[in-house]
Amino acid sequence: MTISARAELGSALERWGERHLRVLMIAPAMVVLLALTIFPSIYMFVAAVTRISPNPDVPWEFAGADNFLRLLTDEQFHVGLWNTIVFSIFSVAAEFLLGLGLALLLDRYIRRLNFLKTVLMLPMMLPPIAVAITWKLIYEPQFGILNEIMFQLGLPLQAWAGDVKLAMFSIIVADVWQWTPFMFLLMLAGLSSLPVEPYEAAALDGASAWRQFWDLTLPFLKPVIAIALLLRIMDALRLFDLVFILTGGGPADRTKTLSLYIYQVAYRFADPSYAAAISLSVLFATVAFSTWFIKRMRLAN
Amino acid sequence: MKRSRTTAMVQRIAAYVTIAVALVLTLFPVYWIASNSFKYDIDIFSVPPQWFPVNPVLKHYHAAFVERPFLQYALNSLIIAVATTLVSLVLGTMAGYALARFRFPGQWRYQISFWILSTRMMPPIVTIIPLYIAFNYFDMLNTKLAVVIAYTAFNLPFATWMMKSYFQDLPVELEEAAMVDGDTRWGAFLRVALPLARPGLAATSIFCLIISWNEFLLALVLTLTERSQTLPIGIAGRVTQYNTYWGEISAAGFTACIPIMIFAFIVQKHLVRGLSFGAVKG
Repeated sequence: MTISARAELGSALERWGERHLRVLMIAPAMVVLLALTIFPSIYMFVAAVTRISPNPDVPWEFAGADNFLRLLTDEQFHVGLWNTIVFSIFSVAAEFLLGLGLALLLDRYIRRLNFLKTVLMLPMMLPPIAVAITWKLIYEPQFGILNEIMFQLGLPLQAWAGDVKLAMFSIIVADVWQWTPFMFLLMLAGLSSLPVEPYEAAALDGASAWRQFWDLTLPFLKPVIAIALLLRIMDALRLFDLVFILTGGGPADRTKTLSLYIYQVAYRFADPSYAAAISLSVLFATVAFSTWFIKRMRLAN
Repeated sequence: MKRSRTTAMVQRIAAYVTIAVALVLTLFPVYWIASNSFKYDIDIFSVPPQWFPVNPVLKHYHAAFVERPFLQYALNSLIIAVATTLVSLVLGTMAGYALARFRFPGQWRYQISFWILSTRMMPPIVTIIPLYIAFNYFDMLNTKLAVVIAYTAFNLPFATWMMKSYFQDLPVELEEAAMVDGDTRWGAFLRVALPLARPGLAATSIFCLIISWNEFLLALVLTLTERSQTLPIGIAGRVTQYNTYWGEISAAGFTACIPIMIFAFIVQKHLVRGLSFGAVKG
């Protein structure tokens, strides 16, 4: 090939590339994502309506809705569902209230926020496993620091994560420690973008701080609050790491979450079909909830 | 008048005290794991607890990183995080630029963007069974490549949206000027938009590094061997039914936190944007 021909081919290629640039730039990402999400989704649907034998030589059997019907009578699933809902409601509510309160305080009283903000947001960035072992160390009944504090205060010592009544509470506290910073940060961002004029007008009218918060701040913050709640709830519904390390789902299944149960069904009980049916139901419920929530909060844009 | 000034003063002091308490509660657990990683076993178990390591030792770091394979785990974590970040950043930057700048027929741009974001919202527990089966079929379980592929599935949508939002913040005029001067569209992207988006690229890559470094569930299912397991899996492996190796896991756990604490200060300004596209949590 002569040099000029090669140059011509090169520039032809270049022109072709320019013309199709938008497709060429977006295609690789889309192909990768399609491969990594479409295949798993199809597999999950197929697996959920079949009976997969642990023996690879036995062909799959069509099972219809059997796997889904099992959900109705499976007590372990009901326990997992209940625990997941309890955990999500209490942890997200606590994170929201603490995060909002802290954000209001810092916004009002601290001038140079940056350093303090960075320190306060640390927990949510740390590896969840490191957080889990840290709290395991704190909760340790024999030599843990929490029981030492209880002892100093003259309160009864507890088994914390090992106690039937306190296990869920312990998980929630650890989660609140890690994720309050998330709420705090989003609320602080919301507060810093509030308009000034309505507050000046309200102050002129002699509105109390409480009235200003209730009638101005909260309505202005509503979109941020809604997004923050949605993101945290979706995360809380898939809680896994903390319970895996702190309690393993126990004692007496008090902290067994849906994610942990799916993991057990799939790997300990080697029942991928049923695990697929649970996963799909959970996914469907999550999508339904978020759609409802987004509509309710009028977040469509 | 005087009384209201006193009230304001009291309120101010109460606010500072509350913030101080929040700071202590935030930092104490991190301090506690760090302090325990430097104690002799006997001091970890002492009652009442030792608030400071009186005889600080590096014994547990030696035990974890020299005697046990935690150095290998940390290296695996690093390789996997860097590879995932590179792949996600290259593909995500191109896709993000295309979505930010190009015209697409009808509602396509909106729909493609939304579809990409929705893949990020899928709980990992849903994708994990099929991925496990697929990697098993291709004999890829217990390889770092399998983990990188799985991590790309949720880092790529994140990187795409982050970069899309950074490109949208850049003025189009600079790229248009470059094209008027005879540069191609690709050239304008490479030589004008990309250098301007550097802060965005840095923030996005740090978030991808953090997400991959912290991830637990996928790595737990996909890896069983020393050569493929990451730091979190190594740590979890030392919490057994019969014994918990407190010193070792404290040392390894605190080590896992160190790069994150450095990163936190770097991405601080970008955090709100990152969080709304699902940064941090794997």
